[in-house]
Amino acid sequence: MRLPSPTVRLRLTLLYGALFLISGAALLAITYFFFRRSSGINLIVPNGGHSNFSRQTLEGIESSYAGLERAHERSLHQLLVDSGIALGIMTLISIALGWLVAGRVLRPLRTMTATTRQISEHNLHERLALPGPKDELKDLADTVDDLLSRLETAFGAQQRFVANAAHELRTPMTLWRALLEETLTDPDATIDSFRATSRRLLALGEEQERLLESLLTLASSERGLGRREPFDLAVLAEAFLRDESPEAAALGLRIDTALGPARAAGDTALAARLVRNLLDNAVSHNVPGGAVHIRTGTGADGTFLSVANDGPPIPPAEVGRLFEPFQRLGTERTGPNDDHHGLGLSIVRAIATAHGAIVDAEARPEGGLSVEVRFPVPRDVGKPTVAVGGSQRVGSRHSGESRDNP
Amino acid sequence: MRVLVVEDHAELAESIVRVLRRDGIAADIAEDGEEGLRRAAVVDYDVVVLDRDLPRLHGDEVCRALVARGGDTKVLMLTASGTIADRVEGLSLGADDYLPKPFAFAELLARIRALARRAQPSLPPILEHDDLQLDPGRRVATRAGERLALSPKELAVLEHLLGADGRVVSAEELLERVWDEEADPFTTTVKSTINRLRAKLGDPPVIVTVPQGGYRI
Repeated sequence: MRLPSPTVRLRLTLLYGALFLISGAALLAITYFFFRRSSGINLIVPNGGHSNFSRQTLEGIESSYAGLERAHERSLHQLLVDSGIALGIMTLISIALGWLVAGRVLRPLRTMTATTRQISEHNLHERLALPGPKDELKDLADTVDDLLSRLETAFGAQQRFVANAAHELRTPMTLWRALLEETLTDPDATIDSFRATSRRLLALGEEQERLLESLLTLASSERGLGRREPFDLAVLAEAFLRDESPEAAALGLRIDTALGPARAAGDTALAARLVRNLLDNAVSHNVPGGAVHIRTGTGADGTFLSVANDGPPIPPAEVGRLFEPFQRLGTERTGPNDDHHGLGLSIVRAIATAHGAIVDAEARPEGGLSVEVRFPVPRDVGKPTVAVGGSQRVGSRHSGESRDNP
Repeated sequence: MRVLVVEDHAELAESIVRVLRRDGIAADIAEDGEEGLRRAAVVDYDVVVLDRDLPRLHGDEVCRALVARGGDTKVLMLTASGTIADRVEGLSLGADDYLPKPFAFAELLARIRALARRAQPSLPPILEHDDLQLDPGRRVATRAGERLALSPKELAVLEHLLGADGRVVSAEELLERVWDEEADPFTTTVKSTINRLRAKLGDPPVIVTVPQGGYRI
């Protein structure tokens, strides 16, 4: 016969049985001991004045005393045997009851196991939803439910990301192929038409390179920081403005800066990318004759970069969505010469999270978007005594540890 | 044959339409779902090539509306997300065919022609009249075994007349089926194309002019 596997139910049952057996045996032992002491046969033989018992009488008394004592011993023995039998029966009953009780106590656990086992990436929306009073098991079930809903959110985001990435990559591929085929199958194609197609394909290829590079940046910044070096957000913003302000000027935009020192630590290239994406976004989603306000500085709880721009009004509910990959506002679509893939702000968020920085964005009532990124003050380059508020985040090298803001 | 291409990516739509026109198919462009439905309500298209991810009105909604309206219009869905689940979903919405992006033009053309043939189920794959033969798939017309050097437009007119199977086809009908929006309906394009076609077809004459009615083979 195969021994049953040592399940918690079996162990609990054996524990109940053993506890009952020990306490029962102890109870019986104590009872037996007291009973034995109190129920002895006491022979009182008067001494002194009345000690005129004859020898015969004394012998008779002694013999009947011995008889009584034997009977007492017998009944004590009987008591022991009977108690032993009762203890055995009760132990068996307690084992059976223990089995039932253990099963009942563990039933929610079994339900949870069965339900959890059935949950895969395809039905992550299912929950344990354990009924009953708030106890340890309910606590466990609720914790698992919380984990499931976090997983569901993450999986959903991942699936959307993959689907969107596939879509974004396939659309230019389709155009690429269409243009090539159109020219190749054209019986009247000229050298010039081939040249025009080649130039267009080159431009498409560059667009693809930028998209792939953005995707790689997003992926690598979500992995966390590879290195940590000091940088100044003001310097990064100035560098961007030196390179890109002709473009803004061409669009007739006014750039309004207030750049105070804003030292932080992390990957300088990624931070520069964050600054560039934010400013790019502010310039390209602006309105003719609009303005871009850029501020950097150091506050009590760290350094900040704030970018606000004029632009079309954004419904406040849409702001969070803009930081999701491949999301654009409303019906905005990429045109043939538009290299905005809707990745810019999601890259900003990923880089900020990797640096332990916090991104706050809000739609401006007059139209446009206002984004503030707050970096923790670095321990190694700033004044360490000031860095109380941010020191905790600076220490976390992995983005996951501080990714509680959605 | 007249085809509507509903595709929001303008450059791709133009490329598709150029290739379709080169192949003798009259094709128009709609840039979003709403415009697509509006155009399909005006012209009775043989095939609507429908991108699934459209702004304003999603391709699924356009497809549903087209199917609900009935008629012979066939819907060919294009999508950038070519998972099996997507294709099944698209077909269950009533699309007649499905082509994942990126696609080959040869396949797109073959599928459009196959769909158009299904719209007129009585048509054989090769159209014939006496010693005149036309293979719509290969875009080749022959008379008495001799290959005719026809332009795509002339071939399309001949295809439509042969497909009408003896019925009288009006100049307006030819204008709608064979020419797209680039044609100016006030010109005598139809007449001059018919005249050129007649000259190329040679003797004995095949195309009969029906006074007040149109043309017939």
